[in-house]
Amino acid sequence: MISALEIDPEAKTRPLWYVYGVVPGDLIPGDESEWPSVGRAGDVELVREGALAALASPVAPSEFDQPSLESRLREASWLEEKIRAHEQVLELVLGHSPVVPFRFCTVYRSREALRAFLSEHRSELEATLERISGKVERGVKAFADRNRLAQATMATTEDSVVEGRSGGRAYLEGRLAEQRNKEEIERMAMELVEKVHARLDQEAEESTFLPPQTRDVSGRPDDMLMNAAYLVEAESPGLEHALADLRRDLGPLGIAFELTGPWPPYNFVPGELA
Amino acid sequence: MSSRDLTNYRPGELDNGQPAQLADVLERVLDKGIVIAGDIQVNLLDIELLTIKLRLLIASADKAKEMGIDWWEGDAFLSRGAGQEALEQRLRRLEREAGIEAPEVEQRAGRRSEG
Repeated sequence: MISALEIDPEAKTRPLWYVYGVVPGDLIPGDESEWPSVGRAGDVELVREGALAALASPVAPSEFDQPSLESRLREASWLEEKIRAHEQVLELVLGHSPVVPFRFCTVYRSREALRAFLSEHRSELEATLERISGKVERGVKAFADRNRLAQATMATTEDSVVEGRSGGRAYLEGRLAEQRNKEEIERMAMELVEKVHARLDQEAEESTFLPPQTRDVSGRPDDMLMNAAYLVEAESPGLEHALADLRRDLGPLGIAFELTGPWPPYNFVPGELA
Repeated sequence: MSSRDLTNYRPGELDNGQPAQLADVLERVLDKGIVIAGDIQVNLLDIELLTIKLRLLIASADKAKEMGIDWWEGDAFLSRGAGQEALEQRLRRLEREAGIEAPEVEQRAGRRSEG
């Protein structure tokens, strides 16, 4: 592979352009010097092209060109810092303007290349901005304490518990009952997720499921039953109200909820532009 | 610019006021959002590999561990070279075994490394 560096030695020092997302070009940013950045603090610019603008930072090739990035990505602390900065820049804008979030580490070689991209994808970007205007993403996770769910299902499976038998038969029947109870818990968990999602979805424009996180990731002792994202009107309390109802109804069963966001609508923009 | 009062606006925080957990940020910033091939100097393959690791971690940490995959560990996982294709194939197989839907890594459009 012939790299650009071999063709143009100056490319080694010329800044690259890191893109956080795209906003309408008429956005007037506040004091950018206060902004977080994946590059130097305050180094966030609106690179305008037509009616669009990219939120971007000039970044050092020594951090973000291909060979540098490859080694940096292996440093957990570097990655967390940059990922947090990416997210924080988008969050700052989210309160002011619709924003089409880009995936982490979208980098252009020059401001001109970035503007050419905006121009080339103008219609899709404008359509996406219009669709998400005034809306934000919220995350809702539902957790269940399996023991409490098991207790709740016991009532319905009690008749299968056989007392007073002994030997192999009792063992087999015990195992069967255990198995039935396990299936019953799974069935109940599925029903709960359907019920919860149906209620929350009423308040959303769009919704999607994310893979449930394991305990290692969620940092909670209970099981994550549901990890969903909802695209909602930024100013509407509908989702919070629905969640309050669900907490009241399902709390006694040991079901807990976590609401996150508002997030930029990561889950509601096209994965790739045509 | 809207006149919205930003002082009480706490994006990315849980409703109990805690800062967003890294996993929640990761599953969005690494795995969602618009994907553009960007420019020639940054190869997205590394990001895609990270994304796969993230998916494995989120969907099935125990499974990933069983398969000998440790998040942030094993530099060979991210190293490039002759083994790349074999590595990708292995990842796809692991993903299938872990019951995770195939990511966009298989779409070559996102992997352009030369302009």
